[in-house]
Amino acid sequence: MEIKSFIHKLEEEFEELEKGTLEPTTSFRDLEEWSSMYALILIALMETEYEVAITGEDLNQIETVQDLFHIVEARRKAS
Amino acid sequence: MNPFTLQGKTILITGASSGIGACTARLCADMGATLVLSARSEQKLADVKDTLSGEEHRIIQADVTKEDQLRHLVEQLPALDGLVHSAGMVKAFPVKFIGEKQIEQLFALNYKGPIKLNSFLLKAKKINNGGAVVFMSSISSFFAHKGGALYAGSKAALNAYSKALALEYAEKKIRSNVIAAAMVKTPLFDRAEQAVSKEMMDKHGDMYPLGFGEPEDIAHAIVFLLSDASRWITGTELIMDGGLSAGH
Repeated sequence: MEIKSFIHKLEEEFEELEKGTLEPTTSFRDLEEWSSMYALILIALMETEYEVAITGEDLNQIETVQDLFHIVEARRKAS
Repeated sequence: MNPFTLQGKTILITGASSGIGACTARLCADMGATLVLSARSEQKLADVKDTLSGEEHRIIQADVTKEDQLRHLVEQLPALDGLVHSAGMVKAFPVKFIGEKQIEQLFALNYKGPIKLNSFLLKAKKINNGGAVVFMSSISSFFAHKGGALYAGSKAALNAYSKALALEYAEKKIRSNVIAAAMVKTPLFDRAEQAVSKEMMDKHGDMYPLGFGEPEDIAHAIVFLLSDASRWITGTELIMDGGLSAGH
């Protein structure tokens, strides 16, 4: 899995977000559009696209797109 | 005779291995009922049974989402005077992520399991005249939250089943009611808190004039709905939400 395609997936789901806004180092909570709805979408997206379970607590622990990518990668390998 | 007693009543509780189910089992036993406890884990059921007052209680392991296990449960059961459906799960899906898999996951356990169990029991004539049925539903069935379309839908469907049941069996004085509960501090609460984060849950809690509920709060109401004290109450939804939906 590549981080580029991962970012592309995220931008597809966050409809209000202008394409090209997300970088590996972008912090989720710094996004103007960030809301509890985004957290729900991230959790559901990781489950439906990557079959990885993440929680709101996981999202609280991480900062950036890259951090999330690493969690998903690690859990995919572990399963 | 004390109309609030459960003396002489045989009551089945599903989801009895933890949370509201286990707490209700303890209170029902204290009130004199003979219980049949059911859930997926035999070990956890045995642990709960050990905490009950009285000797006659039984456990029957069953997963209500498995049809063969449901049928086996119904065969094993004695005739019941009360039935508490408290097996259930919570999971959030934003509407655009809903597909067959997600629908099946929520509805299999929260809707299909309980209503099939109830219908099979009636078909087998194992709910005595004058019996009482209580479904654990949710305030979300009329007071929605983001991500809750499927969960709230499964509970709203239960509410509807309960009303039809109440009408069809009124002649036999079999009553059916649901408890529309908001957040109660159970193991499910802990998992939900982990899923959405403690911060969000605390913020949600600020909206409850009386704070989050405790399993005992729900158990008290269930015992009332199982007892003859509630003999004129059927087809209703008892809102238990610490004042959440009263206004702001």
